[in-house]
Amino acid sequence: MNAHSIGGLFALNLLLLAVGVTILYALRGWVSWTELARLSGVAYMLGVAATSVVWVFELIVGISFGLVTIIGTGAVLAVAASFAGHRVGHRLPGIRVGMKIPRLSFVSAIFAAATIVYLEAAFRAARLAGLYEFDAWAFWVPKAKAIYYFGGLDEQFFRELINQPYPPLVPALEAVTFHFMGAPDVVTVHLQFWFLFVGFTAAVVGLLSGRVPPLFLWPSLLLMLVTPHVGGHFYHPTADFLIDEFFAIAALLIALWLIDRKDWQLLAAGILLAAVVLTKREGYAFGASVIVAALVVTARERRAAWPKLIAVGIVAAAAALPWRIFLAVRGLGGGGPEAGGTGLLSNLDRAWPSLRLAVSTLFDYHLWLLVTPLAVVAILAAFAAGARVLPLYTTLVLVFAVVAFTYSTWAFPSLGISREPALNPIVRLTGEVVLLTPALVPLLLASAWRRVPPVVEDA
Amino acid sequence: MNDVARAGVILCLGLSIAFGAIYFPRALSDLGDIASNNSALSFSDREVAGGNGIVDDQEAVYQAEAIIPESARYRVVTGSGLRNPTPLTLAFVDSWYRYFLMPRRPDVGARWIICYGCDASKLGRPYAILWQDDDGISIGRLR
Repeated sequence: MNAHSIGGLFALNLLLLAVGVTILYALRGWVSWTELARLSGVAYMLGVAATSVVWVFELIVGISFGLVTIIGTGAVLAVAASFAGHRVGHRLPGIRVGMKIPRLSFVSAIFAAATIVYLEAAFRAARLAGLYEFDAWAFWVPKAKAIYYFGGLDEQFFRELINQPYPPLVPALEAVTFHFMGAPDVVTVHLQFWFLFVGFTAAVVGLLSGRVPPLFLWPSLLLMLVTPHVGGHFYHPTADFLIDEFFAIAALLIALWLIDRKDWQLLAAGILLAAVVLTKREGYAFGASVIVAALVVTARERRAAWPKLIAVGIVAAAAALPWRIFLAVRGLGGGGPEAGGTGLLSNLDRAWPSLRLAVSTLFDYHLWLLVTPLAVVAILAAFAAGARVLPLYTTLVLVFAVVAFTYSTWAFPSLGISREPALNPIVRLTGEVVLLTPALVPLLLASAWRRVPPVVEDA
Repeated sequence: MNDVARAGVILCLGLSIAFGAIYFPRALSDLGDIASNNSALSFSDREVAGGNGIVDDQEAVYQAEAIIPESARYRVVTGSGLRNPTPLTLAFVDSWYRYFLMPRRPDVGARWIICYGCDASKLGRPYAILWQDDDGISIGRLR
């Protein structure tokens, strides 16, 4: 059963990678196969994001959700993206005998080996993990099982399970994994989240390698990997890490766009942000934070930059619209804050404790080691070197994140002022910043060292 | 300012490498421990997982799965007759069975009953017990 399930997961993730490769072909193409290999992590994350978003739309409109729909969706997306790529003039490079394979530097080899060893250990930890987390068995996985068994957003279960307004991207993705595994295997489903984490790691490395020196890239990544809260949690079948992974890659692509101004980076970020808003409710705040941060840092060139950024924001926000309509039609409520708007004023006594909780959790050594303090040092170093765009963008994203974390406690008086997971999700929320650091800190360090990270885009 | 910036970069890299190197073996060890603990569990312990702290008796879970048909509706009825409940049992047993027993549907009027110390006389109709344990858990059907 387990080997069969794992085989199914490999097949699913190959499908997602294949779809993502065609999306990358449509967005930018590639001039060599080694370039495609370098960007395969980004391709995979794009494949997961785009396919999952379409699956969610299909569920909302009531298309029967079985293997035919699942695979057919991937096939249609792949064909459409290939066609679009061809239409815009992208062509596949030839296959040359004796193709030059880029050499790894000593630093890259050491850190890449360490990362692979870490991910192998994580695979073994995830392979036989049970479903212990309350959120996982109380609603994420039950929703997935309901989609798997009943072929859609079952009226009864999606009304009776808690947290009805949570967007259904993760349950849809888990239901797909159940189909590929041949059964709702709630143990092996953890491995799907291992695949997603591997894709995230590969995406960060692929987007930054060649652009920043290996010594700037790998230590930040390794530090994030070894933080106590990442290792034991990233494979849990909930939405907490997946939203952070989508978000970090989107934020990195926007940061790269601020440097390169290549449209494909913004389009790819738009796809990922659409997935962000359909993964968890805080996705709205996350998505808005990077768009607003990018708007602020491009204020001087607003005529050229703002229409594109606003378009990406609108597309991402629009992705959530069908789900909001679905909630309204079924009378499930919007899932707004318990004390939003004027409610914040009547809970003013919670403002300072909420802010203190957000900041202290972000800087908690026992959870995240020195990830956040070092991100702050990298920002200051980049400012000191005279850089403005990247450090200001990163600062704004971090500040907006702290505001969002504070609001999440302040506006929900039923949550305790506590890091206890059963009382407050603050620890899970702060993962957003922690997964963002290996994506943005290397760029900041490169800015601080020699001002502007070079463009290595070759397509 | 460039020296300050470069000092910041060196500080960042130095601490990242140092802490990465210190915590790398620990992270591997923690992941190894998780893997060992997971593989040491029985199939049922792993499958029931979080439910082990709720359902009181693992056999009740598998008996419910075996006895109640997949297309049937059921309800979990709790009461004071349960012996040795965990602090989580009465609060969460209903929602845990909802997750585990799918595609069986919970229904307040269902004839299939998972009784956790319930008072059978209050079920409204004669209760035919098909399985029970010594802790006050039973599974049966209303006639």
